[in-house]
Amino acid sequence: MKKVLALFLSCMVILAGCSSGGGGQEPAASGSNSGGSSSGSKAEEITIWAWDPAFNIAALNIAKEAYSKKNPDAKINIVEFAQADIIQKLNTGLNSGTTKGLPNIVLIEDYRAQGFLQSYPDAFYDLSGKVRSEDFAEYKIGPTSLNGKQYGVPFDSGVTGMYVRKDYIEQAGYTLDDLKNIDWKQYIEIGKVIKEKTGKDIITLDPNDLGIIRMMIQSAGSWYLAEDGKTPDLAGNAALKEAFELYKEMMEANVVKVNADWSQFIANINNGDVATVPTGNWITPSVKAEASQAGQWAILPIPKLPQTPNSVHATNLGGSSWYVMNIPGAETAADFLAETFGSDVNMYQNLLTNVGAIGTLKAAASGEAYAKPDEFFGGQQIVNDFAAWTAEIPKVNYGISTYAIEDILVVEMQNYLNGKGIDQALSDAQAQAEAQVK
Amino acid sequence: MKADRTGLSIRAKSNLTGWSFILIAVTMIAAFYFYPMVQALILSFKTGTGSNLTYTGGSNYVRLLSDKTFLTSLSNTFIYLIIQVPVMILLALFISVLLNDSKLKFRGFFRTAIFLPCVTSLVAYSVVFKYLFAADGLVNSLLLKLSVIQVPIQWITDPFWAKITIIIAITWRWTGYNMIFYLSALQNIDSSIYEAARIDGASSFKQFTKITVPMLKPIILFTSITSTIGTLQLFDEVMNITKGGPGNATLSISQYIYNLSFKYTADFGYAATVSYSIVVIIVLLSILQFKVAGDKK
Repeated sequence: MKKVLALFLSCMVILAGCSSGGGGQEPAASGSNSGGSSSGSKAEEITIWAWDPAFNIAALNIAKEAYSKKNPDAKINIVEFAQADIIQKLNTGLNSGTTKGLPNIVLIEDYRAQGFLQSYPDAFYDLSGKVRSEDFAEYKIGPTSLNGKQYGVPFDSGVTGMYVRKDYIEQAGYTLDDLKNIDWKQYIEIGKVIKEKTGKDIITLDPNDLGIIRMMIQSAGSWYLAEDGKTPDLAGNAALKEAFELYKEMMEANVVKVNADWSQFIANINNGDVATVPTGNWITPSVKAEASQAGQWAILPIPKLPQTPNSVHATNLGGSSWYVMNIPGAETAADFLAETFGSDVNMYQNLLTNVGAIGTLKAAASGEAYAKPDEFFGGQQIVNDFAAWTAEIPKVNYGISTYAIEDILVVEMQNYLNGKGIDQALSDAQAQAEAQVK
Repeated sequence: MKADRTGLSIRAKSNLTGWSFILIAVTMIAAFYFYPMVQALILSFKTGTGSNLTYTGGSNYVRLLSDKTFLTSLSNTFIYLIIQVPVMILLALFISVLLNDSKLKFRGFFRTAIFLPCVTSLVAYSVVFKYLFAADGLVNSLLLKLSVIQVPIQWITDPFWAKITIIIAITWRWTGYNMIFYLSALQNIDSSIYEAARIDGASSFKQFTKITVPMLKPIILFTSITSTIGTLQLFDEVMNITKGGPGNATLSISQYIYNLSFKYTADFGYAATVSYSIVVIIVLLSILQFKVAGDKK
C-alpha cells in the first residue's frame, strides 16, 4: 500500500512540475541574484531575441559592446530565431501563463506590436520612465505605446526607397533624374520600356506578400484599418483601390518577376534580374552583399500614388522596435535599452557605419555617419536621403490585425486579377474582415 | 476469503497491484491527451486575442460556418484527399506487387529507395521541392529542354499548379510508407493460391484484382484511414513550399489553425474551434471508411 501511495505521490509531483504556476512567478533562469535589490540587478544576465544576423543581430552586438564598456558585469545573451519562431514562442509562452524560457528583450515588428501589447496586458514592461517617446520619430510612437505608456524602444526606421540599377535604366534610355519623384503610373510605363530594351523586369513581387500595397497606401496616410486601429477600412478606401488597380496594371504590363519567397526575392536582386527594388532601407545590406554590382545602384525616392491627393514620396515598410518582458531582469533589460538604443548617439553613428541600420532616435539624426557617401551607391549620401524621407512618412495606426486583413486581401487580389470587379473585391474583403476582426 | 491486516481480500489486493502498474500510463495519458483535449474544447467556446479570452458560447462555431477562409482551406484539403490518397494507394499497391516479384534483381535496393523519402526530414524535403519546382528550377528547365513545355510553369505561384506541386510532394513522400505495409501483407499471401490461379489460366491482371486486392483489403483500409488522417492534418509541405498561397489556393486546415494562432494576432479560441472541426471530420470519415470497406462484425 505504501508503494502505491509513493507511486501516486511521485506522479503528482511529476504532473505538478509539468503544469505551470501563475505567470510571472518563476525566478529568472539566470537565477542567483534575480529579484535582488537594484544594486544587484545590474549584474543580472539578460537574454535578447532578434532575427536578422545582417541587421538587427549585428546592431545588438554593437549595443552589447557599448553597454559592456560601462557595465562590465552585465551578461547579455543574444539569441537568433526566425521572426515567425519568435512570434510563436512569445504567443505560446505568454498564453500558457509561464514566463520560463521567454527572453528579457524581444524585437517585434511594428505591424504586430499593438497585437502583442493589447493581447497580453502586463506582459510587457512599462518603459515610460526610462525612455522619452518625444526623443523618437513620431510615426514610431503609435505602434510602440499603449494608453499613454511607452512600451517599446523604437528601433529601425523602415523608411523606404527605390533601389535602382543605373546601368539598366541607362540602357533603356533614361537617366536617374527621369525616375526621380515619379508616380506609380509613370513607373509602370518606364518598366515597359526597360522590359523592351533590356529584357529585365522592373520589379520582383511575391503574390503572397502585399508589402507594395502597404507602401502605397501608407504614403497617402491610409491603412487597412480606420484611425481607431479597429474598424476595417477597405471598401471605401480610395488609396487602397488605387493601389489595387496599379498592382493589376503592373501584373498585366508583364513587368513583374514573380518570386515565391524571401530567398528568391534576394536572389532576383543579386542576380540582376530586376531594374528597381522599391522597399525598406533594411534591404541595403542584402543589396550590398553582391559586391560585383558596386557603383551600379542608386537609391531614389519612392514613387507616389498618381490620383490620391495626399500621397507623398515617402513611406514605411516593416520596421521594428525593442520590448522588455515583464519578468525578473526587466530592470536590467530596460537599463540596457535606455543606455544604448534609447540615448547613445555615438552608438547610432556606429550602427550606421558598420551595419547600415538607420535608427529613429532624433538626436542621432545628424553627424558624420549621416553625411558619409556610400561608394556602393556611387557616392550617394544614402543615409541623409533616407533621413529626409523618414521625416515625411505619414503616420498611420497599424492596429492589431494587419496580417489577418492582408491574408483576406491577398485572396481578393487574386480574384481581382482573375476578373472580379475592384469594388466588389474590396467590399467582399470588407465583409470578411468585419467578421474576422472583433 | 482470508483478509490480511489491511482488510483487503487477496483478489482486491491483486487488482490493486494491477491498477498500480498501469497507473502511470493512465495518469500520463490523462494528463497529456485527455486534459489538453478537454481544455481545447473549453477554449473553443472563448473568443478574444491572446490572453484576453471571454466565454461567448457557440459564436466561434457560428463564425466557422460563414468563414470563407476556413471553407477554402476545407475544400483545398478535400481536393488533396480525393486526388492524392487514391493515387498514392494505387501507386503503392502497384509498386509493392512489382517489388514482391521474387525474380526481380536488387529488390532490397528498390524497396529501400522507395521507402527512403518517408524517413527524410519534412522540412528538408519541402525546401528541396520548393527549389526543384521554382520558376527557374530543375523541373522547369528539364521540361523546357525536353520541349514538353514552351514557357516555364509557375509551379508555386499559380493557384492550380501550386496544388499539383503539393500533391506531387506528398505522394513522393508517403507512397513508400504505404508500400511497406502492402509488401509485408503480400508476403503473407500463400504463393500456392497464385499457382492454382495460374493453372486455372488467370491472367496477371485477374490475379491482381481477384486475389491480391481482396487479400489486402484490411491493409488497404488501414492505409486509407491513416492517409486520410495524415492528409487532413497536412501542414509541413504547405507551410514550407507555398505558405498556403497564392491567395490561399493551397491553404490546408492545419495551416489555417497555425495562421490564426501565430501569423495573425493570436486567436486561440477560434483556432481551437477549427481544430475541433478536423476531429469531427476525421471521426466521420473513419466511420464511413469502416462501413464501406471494413469487415462486418
